[in-house]
Parts: sequence; structure tokens; C-alpha cells
Amino acid sequence: MTITNDLNLPTEEELSVQEINLSGPVLKAASFHLGRACLHENNEFMLCRDELGDPRACIEEGKAVTNCALNFFRTVKKTCADEFMQYANCIDKSSPNQQYTPCRKTQAVFDKCAKDDMGIERLPFDYYARVQVHKTARPKPDAEGPAVYPDATPYLPESAEKPPAKYGSRYLFMW
Amino acid sequence: MATSASAKKQDMPPEGGYKPISYKRIPAKTYFSGWALIGGYLGMTAAAGFLYYLNCKRLHRNEIEMRSGRFAIFPLLLAERDREYLKQLRRNRDEEAELMKNVEGWEVGTYYGEPLYKTVDKDKLIDPMMQGYYVHTPWKEFNRRAFIRQWS
Repeated sequence: MTITNDLNLPTEEELSVQEINLSGPVLKAASFHLGRACLHENNEFMLCRDELGDPRACIEEGKAVTNCALNFFRTVKKTCADEFMQYANCIDKSSPNQQYTPCRKTQAVFDKCAKDDMGIERLPFDYYARVQVHKTARPKPDAEGPAVYPDATPYLPESAEKPPAKYGSRYLFMW
Repeated sequence: MATSASAKKQDMPPEGGYKPISYKRIPAKTYFSGWALIGGYLGMTAAAGFLYYLNCKRLHRNEIEMRSGRFAIFPLLLAERDREYLKQLRRNRDEEAELMKNVEGWEVGTYYGEPLYKTVDKDKLIDPMMQGYYVHTPWKEFNRRAFIRQWS
């Protein structure tokens, strides 16, 4: 292993939160409304993850994402449990890869319930595949400047004299 | 002699002569003219192309929707994966320390104190290679994950 003792790793307790204990089809069925309900947390987490490129730096944001999703599913359970389970069941069993197309009817029922009872409207079908514009208070990380080598050859000074070539230059047609 | 023998009857044309030899070309009945055929071909191709376009658009739209759905739950999955990954890294490190505690001069994550990466910051997390990540597990676990393409 290349993980040395100098590397700061968070402890087990810091990383332990209640996880979402749901299977893929259920998540796929909930995805559009979940994405809408947790849009800010998701974008914040993905921005952090993308900017810093280090899983250790974005643990708090990740916990916020999981917490938000947990709350979302609790709300679903409270308000639209039947409609949602029918939709998830349809997604699960209608196709081998959890297609949305065969389940438009159950989807419409769940959409209506989500809109009326939970106040979450379904976003356009390609919303999460678009570029997301996210307004955040997160400070921008310092951009890594160009590498500086102490033993690099110094440039010619600005004031250096640059006379025309003494014997002309080679001129060929192509290069 | 031949004169007395019954005269052989010569084959003669039938009464009224032979029928005229049928050499006239009888072309098949034409339903469409050439221009109509070409026009029909072009028309059908155009119609089929339009249907193909509609189908393509529908499939493309479905693909985008599936991708969009995946992207919507991706942060959730990534957050969970990150936490489990970091936990496992710590477990691996502890396991190595436990395993190599009797070896003199061994430092965890290095080869007798010689690190793998020398010029990078010590606190920079560089993902270990897969074999290193799975080194303390039974080989079956590694196979199950590494060759998931072949299993599925």
C-alpha cells in the first residue's frame, strides 16, 4: 500500500452516517425529484469534489447530500408512498436497465402526487444532463501557478540588443 | 425395283401451310413507367428516412433522460462511495501496521522507509492501485470486483 502514516485520513466515526439503504431501481425512480429537492447540496458537493479532487476535503458536503436525500425519502414515505412504490416497481420490472419509457403512466401518478403533496415539480427530461449554474459562497481554490525552477536558464533581458542576422537566414519554401 | 414398290409417302406441310413462326417479342405487362419507378424509390426512401429520423430522435431523447436520471443520483452515490473508500484505506493501513509489526525497520506505506512518491506533498492522497487496495482481502474478492465485466 502507498498510504503512509503521514497521510491524514478521517476516522471511522467521522465517516459514519446513516446511509441510504435503497436499491438502484428505487433511486432511479426517485432521481428526478431527488435531484430537484437536493439540487443545492448536490451541486455544492460536486463542485467541491471537482475543484479539490480529494474525497477527504468534501466529507461534510457529502454528508449534507446524504442527509438531504434521507429527508427526501422520509417525505416521500410520509406523503406519496403508494404512488412511489408503484412507480419504482414498474421501473424495476419493466426493463432490464431501468428505462423510464415503459412507466409513463405510473410516473404521471407519482408526479401529480409529488407536485400536490410535496411541492416538488418534475424538471425537464434533460435538466441534469445540462451544464449546471451554481451560486455558492465557497471560496475559489488557489489556481496552481506555472512551475518555477530555480536552476532554469534566465531569459534574455528586455533591453538586450537584437540585431538582424549577420548572414541572413535560411529560407526554404515550406519551413 | 423401286417403281413397283409402294411409293413412300413424303412428309408434306399441313393443309393450308405451316403457321407463321412466332418470333415477335411479347414484353411483360408494365405497371409503372421508368420515371414512376425512380420517383417511387425516391419517395419511399424519403419517407423511410423521415421515420428513421423520428425514431432516432426518440431514442436519443430516451438516452438523454436516462443519463439525466443517473446524473441526478450520482452525487449521492459518490458521497457514499467516498466515505466507504476512506474507511477502507484506513482499514488497509491499520491492517498493514498489524501485519508488519514484527518486521524491523518497516514503515507503513513505504518500503523500509523508502516512499513510493518522493516529490509530492506527504499529505496528498494518491489513489492506490487496485491490487494494493485489495491486497489484504481474499483473492476472490479482488476477482469479483476486477473482472466484473466478465462476470456480468
